[in-house]
Amino acid sequence: MDEIKEEGSARSTAHGFGRLLVAIYGLFAVAATGRSAVQLATKFHEAPLAYLLSAFAAVVYIVATVSLARGDARSRRVAAVAISIELVGVITVGAVSELIPNAFPHATVWTGFGSGYGFVPFVLPFIGLWWLRHTR
Amino acid sequence: MAVVTGLYALAITVVALLLAAWAFGLVLADRRPGTALLAGGAVLEALLVGFLIGGIVQMIGSHRDFARAEFVIYLLACVAIPPMAAAWGLGERGRAGTAVLAAGFLIMPVMVLRVQQVWAGPVG
Repeated sequence: MDEIKEEGSARSTAHGFGRLLVAIYGLFAVAATGRSAVQLATKFHEAPLAYLLSAFAAVVYIVATVSLARGDARSRRVAAVAISIELVGVITVGAVSELIPNAFPHATVWTGFGSGYGFVPFVLPFIGLWWLRHTR
Repeated sequence: MAVVTGLYALAITVVALLLAAWAFGLVLADRRPGTALLAGGAVLEALLVGFLIGGIVQMIGSHRDFARAEFVIYLLACVAIPPMAAAWGLGERGRAGTAVLAAGFLIMPVMVLRVQQVWAGPVG
């Protein structure tokens, strides 16, 4: 896929492999937004912390998707921050949910290091940060 | 007629997997998607619109307790994903663009499975 990247305008994050990466981020943005919208609308009182965390994760994925898709210098910095927050989030929530299961009785995208989503949420930020470096 | 759990859902899964394999084949061969693949995608999309309508009809006809809002959102997501993948994937003429189409097809069996899990009852 390297030859495709070279054709892209100014090594943008949205071309070549980035095209697929943005699609995967977009899928998680949709999944996390859908999930948190349902949780907040129908059962917010059951587990406010977990559901606010779901909503926060959704916002992080939306910001990462949009900024990777735009790919200009400013968007790259926004993407780097969003993906770093994503990395810290999935590791923190993953570790806490393993050590103190009662802390998150209701699952979020990041619970169990994203085990409910084939651990893709755990791998994705590493790939995202690598891609930002790679296209610099 | 059980659209969500029966042969109809199985048909969607089979069609989506065939289209995903086809698209991945194009990625490996470094060829652009043609009209035939897009026609296949249109067939899948038509099946998914039927899935949405049939799923809602099935939901209204049921008195069981399950996450109805989540159910409808997953059905809507099923219908929304292929056009979004097509728009984004066809925006780039190259392997990666075709890979987006393949990923869009590949995710559909997972989405169908999630719809069925929500239909079956709470999972967590």
